[in-house]
Amino acid sequence: MELTHRFTVPASVDESWAHFNDIASVAECFPGATVTSVDGDEFSGSVKVKLGPIALVYNGSGTFREKDEAAHRFVVEAKGRDKRGTGTAGATVTLTMGAGAGSATDVEVVTDLSITGKPAQFGRGVMQDVSDKLLGQFVDCLEQRLSEPSVTVVPDEKVAETPSEPLDRQGLPETTVPKHLAEETVPTPTPAAPRPAPPADDSLDLGAAVLPVLARTYWKQAAGALGALLLLWWVISRSRR
Amino acid sequence: MIPAQFDYVAPTSVEDALAALAQHGDDAKIIAGGQSLLPVLRMRLNAPEMIIDLGRIESLRGVRDDGDAIVIGAMTPHAVVGSDPLVNEHAALIAKAVEHLADAQIRHRGTFGGALAHADPAGDLGAPALALGAEFVIQGSGGTRTVPADDFFVDLFETAIGEDEILTEVRVPKHTGWGAHYEKFVRVAHQWPIVAVAAAVRVDGGTIAEARIGLTNMGSTPIRARAVESALAGQPATADGVRAAAEQAAEGTTPPSDLNGDADYRRHLARVLTRRAVLAAAGS
Repeated sequence: MELTHRFTVPASVDESWAHFNDIASVAECFPGATVTSVDGDEFSGSVKVKLGPIALVYNGSGTFREKDEAAHRFVVEAKGRDKRGTGTAGATVTLTMGAGAGSATDVEVVTDLSITGKPAQFGRGVMQDVSDKLLGQFVDCLEQRLSEPSVTVVPDEKVAETPSEPLDRQGLPETTVPKHLAEETVPTPTPAAPRPAPPADDSLDLGAAVLPVLARTYWKQAAGALGALLLLWWVISRSRR
Repeated sequence: MIPAQFDYVAPTSVEDALAALAQHGDDAKIIAGGQSLLPVLRMRLNAPEMIIDLGRIESLRGVRDDGDAIVIGAMTPHAVVGSDPLVNEHAALIAKAVEHLADAQIRHRGTFGGALAHADPAGDLGAPALALGAEFVIQGSGGTRTVPADDFFVDLFETAIGEDEILTEVRVPKHTGWGAHYEKFVRVAHQWPIVAVAAAVRVDGGTIAEARIGLTNMGSTPIRARAVESALAGQPATADGVRAAAEQAAEGTTPPSDLNGDADYRRHLARVLTRRAVLAAAGS
């Protein structure tokens, strides 16, 4: 199954690409996944999802297959397994940027999903609804941030000023941030060298999605988590039996 | 498959159930008839540590007359609701919908409140409850509150019931003498509707005086077809009188696209089924 989402950012392609490389802008938009380890271009993490009667914990891992700065494209492959070991899924997420009308940038996110999993008992395939809702949330946030010209300049101050709900995670107790990481939370325009992320526990609640602020400096991982989330939505969608 | 291990309590009062819910919080799950929760548990799409069964709380069962409304206890099985004389007299639309709800076994195990709290957008009870302007009585540790149907259905599988609250009963305003029909389109018998339309109409001397229309599976919640309702008022209760009004049935809806049909197909179904439902309800 292939899912395609498109949106437009009111900035040039180069600017947008730079913004996407701004770790903070991408990761902070991410509704609730936790990266547990990073090794080169590989990463692993977990996702908690709640939707009505469903509450699942998925563990997933992913790899950056491709990151083409010239073509403004990156590809992530991810796979996930239900914590209780009954379902598995794989996904390939391709994000491409192209010049749009005027000086805008068209962004396309294509997600190819395959699954071995469990059917569920619902009145209809909820996959589309759920993925639209969650990805919509992610994309709205990205759009908003990419439209703010100065976001990469002093990200932390921007973050502190913005009253939007996800950023309230800024108020996480400092004790959850190891000191050496806390000192490095100011994002740089290029991806920082991978390093282990501190474990955090967040639940992806569709009613109120939350963001792990600790993932702020890990945009690759966040993109991988997108893959893991999409796997989940696909699992949920195997419901029309 | 076998569900993950869980603890189980079956309190005999709403207060005890609320206390158990407060104690276990996110690790607890309420079970009513279990017709939706059990499959989820068996497929391990959820693994609560505590199941709180409302089945032994007698006060949550039954249908009673309450002046200008009838009150349906949340734990009343569908089959009891569908055959109840008060329901058939004053809220016939609900009885009509229950006729089409799943199969006989599910109608005897599943409960009225459980299905509404589950809030499956393709569930058969949401649209009739919405159309008749039902009110949902929700009890929490802080007391009881009443939520109108317009505010009860929040989103896909999401209602106004808080995590520390229990739906105890549903008040349905009396629609005595109204004609009612639930027109459900399915490909497989006993399945959820691809689209369904719940219609209640009050016919006065061959003219439709009032109409209430609810749509199932045309969005992430049940939806009132208000444009149709106002267009129907004053129309003759004939095929010609109803046709034009029913054309507005898909206005403002956001139907899903899936293997059973894309959004446009569902919009078409909504218009056709609305016409049929209204005509059947009007006895034409």
